[in-house]
Amino acid sequence: MSAALGLALVLLAGLTAYAVLGGADFGAGLWDLFAFGSRKHAQRALLEQAMGPVWEANHVWLIFVVITMFSGFPSAFAAISQRLLVPISLALLGIVLRGAAFAFRHYAAPHGGTPVRGTQLWGRIFAISSLLTPFFLGVAGGELLSGAAMWAPLPLLGGALAVLCCAYLAATYLAADAAGIDDAALANDFRLRAIITGIAAGALALAGLLLIPGSIPVLIVVASSATRIGSLLLLRWKRYSLARVAAATAAATVLWGWAAALYPWVIIPGSSVGGLRFLDTAAPPSTAAVVLGVLLAGLAVVTPCYALMLRVLRTP
Amino acid sequence: MLDDLTAAREQMALSLSFHIIFAVLGVGLPWLMLWARWRGLRRNDPLWTALARRWAKAAGVLFAIGAVSGTVLSVEFGLLWPIFMERFGAALSLPFTLESFAFFLEAIFFGLYLYGWDRLSPKLHLACGIPVAISGMASALFVTTANAWMNGPVGLVKDASGKLVAAQPLGPFLAATTPPQLTHIALAALMCTGLAVASVYATAMLRNPHKRDGYHRRGLAAGAVLGLSVAPLQVLVGDWATRVVYNVQPAKFAAMEGVEHTRNGVPLRFGPLELPRMLSLLLHGNPDAQVRGMDAISAPDQPPQLITHLSFDVMIGIGTALVGLAVWAGYAVWRYRHGGLHPTQQRWLLRALAVAGPAPFVALLAGWIVTEVGRQPWIVFQVMRTTEALTPRHGLAVYFYVTVAVYLMLSVALIAILRRIAAGPTPADVKLTDPQPREHTSSTHAPTRSATR
Repeated sequence: MSAALGLALVLLAGLTAYAVLGGADFGAGLWDLFAFGSRKHAQRALLEQAMGPVWEANHVWLIFVVITMFSGFPSAFAAISQRLLVPISLALLGIVLRGAAFAFRHYAAPHGGTPVRGTQLWGRIFAISSLLTPFFLGVAGGELLSGAAMWAPLPLLGGALAVLCCAYLAATYLAADAAGIDDAALANDFRLRAIITGIAAGALALAGLLLIPGSIPVLIVVASSATRIGSLLLLRWKRYSLARVAAATAAATVLWGWAAALYPWVIIPGSSVGGLRFLDTAAPPSTAAVVLGVLLAGLAVVTPCYALMLRVLRTP
Repeated sequence: MLDDLTAAREQMALSLSFHIIFAVLGVGLPWLMLWARWRGLRRNDPLWTALARRWAKAAGVLFAIGAVSGTVLSVEFGLLWPIFMERFGAALSLPFTLESFAFFLEAIFFGLYLYGWDRLSPKLHLACGIPVAISGMASALFVTTANAWMNGPVGLVKDASGKLVAAQPLGPFLAATTPPQLTHIALAALMCTGLAVASVYATAMLRNPHKRDGYHRRGLAAGAVLGLSVAPLQVLVGDWATRVVYNVQPAKFAAMEGVEHTRNGVPLRFGPLELPRMLSLLLHGNPDAQVRGMDAISAPDQPPQLITHLSFDVMIGIGTALVGLAVWAGYAVWRYRHGGLHPTQQRWLLRALAVAGPAPFVALLAGWIVTEVGRQPWIVFQVMRTTEALTPRHGLAVYFYVTVAVYLMLSVALIAILRRIAAGPTPADVKLTDPQPREHTSSTHAPTRSATR
């Protein structure tokens, strides 16, 4: 296996981690936006509690992906940055506003009492930017895959699919959290939300199959469908910890399907632009090997610490 | 509308300046936090523990802003300067990759620290603060390593025709500019944090003399000691950095020192002052030595001179004034030890400390301007021009205006919240007793003495 291929796999792993961990944080923000019913305050409190301790570490996966991208595949990074200036800038705006707004809201009343002026607005900004960020990241993915402009069907579908996947992941995780603190009613709220968004995400993913220009390996499609149906059944049976794993796998396989459909290209050849093969954009082999070594060594250190953090802070 | 190059440069300058302010606090505060937590645990001192909690809240919100504004930078490298990233992304791979892991560890253990007060044992909790402080500092240094390489690139591989084909990944760590720049920024981060913290407590004491209690004194002392003890060292490091600039980037040196002509016995120019032959003496140890000026640089390779020189003077002025403040504060403590007034009884010293809070930040930004503007017209010194690195996309002014608006909003909200954190109720003075009397009784003496101060 060449160093370039190894780097590509590390990149995909980082992207997957961002999707299933960071994606759920965006989904949590979505459920803040769409909190309703008699338990809406409890819903908001639960999601704030769930993402508060971990969202920053989850966010670092994005930085990891960006850095791995420009270190390992500098020309692809440059090409994507030029091609996707608009959706990436909009996603970046959402990322800044989401993170800052969450922190502002969280620390708005550091000693109790009334929160700092403007906190309500920041709460809204947090929720809305949690919707816009995955949408524009999904649009960016769709734009790469279709080679079309931002407002074509495939990019829009990509945006919607990303939003639904985040919502579905978050609802599944939150249902498990609520069950963990023995709040059956709250767990049921999120279980219902997970099932609805899960079905919608699955339907959109299938619709995407018809729209994409290339093809996705059957194995990925089967795995994605199986884990999605499995996660929905597990949710129905209230087997939350297994449902969490199945939902994360279902989301990850959608991402892998996207990557497989794009491969071997990063910029698909079109009428006006020449194509760019992803592995051809890799850093020179000597550099790529060093970067891959550092990445693997770093991951070996970080992963156990990450697991420790999730264990300490995500157990109710 | 701004043209694309100006808009891109201004946006980069704004994003960096915004980030750097929070980044240095994110680097420095964990060390203070760790110190306070340790003192609180070791001496069973609730005042230090209260400070540790307060600082952790401030660090928490600052870290979040630092994290998102840092993300902006890493993505903007591509959005604004894709040609630069295409050619040198691999060259900068090692410092940035290591930075991402340092940042991971910082975020992981910061999460554990902030949310672990009640979930972890006190010792384990304290231990979680150590990787936060170390990796916070490390991530800042890795990023600065990349910048230092842009100032003095090494390890570039050229083919037979002289065309650049690759860059050694270790290059950034081997650049001559790296050691002084790293030391300079590390000390700057500690100075900024220390003096900002000291300023908060000095201001509180000035507004309300009753606040000259143990809690505020501890906060003031920790901040002032950190910030001011570093100030004299920073002068030495600054001198070292200037020498390296002279050797590696003579154009930047000529711009920042305002040397127009190459000649012997060059004076040191500082604001309206001119100290005859001083620059030659400082640089070469000989008042008559020759110093290269801007006339040795061809016109298209010259950086903007006025802004570079003014920024440099601001930095030097503030740095020198802070050394003066360090001497003053040191003298005040010495007087107190010999039966004089407590330093917090000296209103002028408190006033100076209050004013000195923002000063190192101004110096930091000024120094950053010297580094960046002084490197122009190059993005990678003598290898790639800034104009060559720009994205071919147009309409960049809009992105700049949006960035201005968003960062303005964030600043307003952040300041409101930091003020609110600082304004919280503070614990009253307590008589300290050593919880576990140890064998050697001398150690029990120290805490009681410090409590009565």
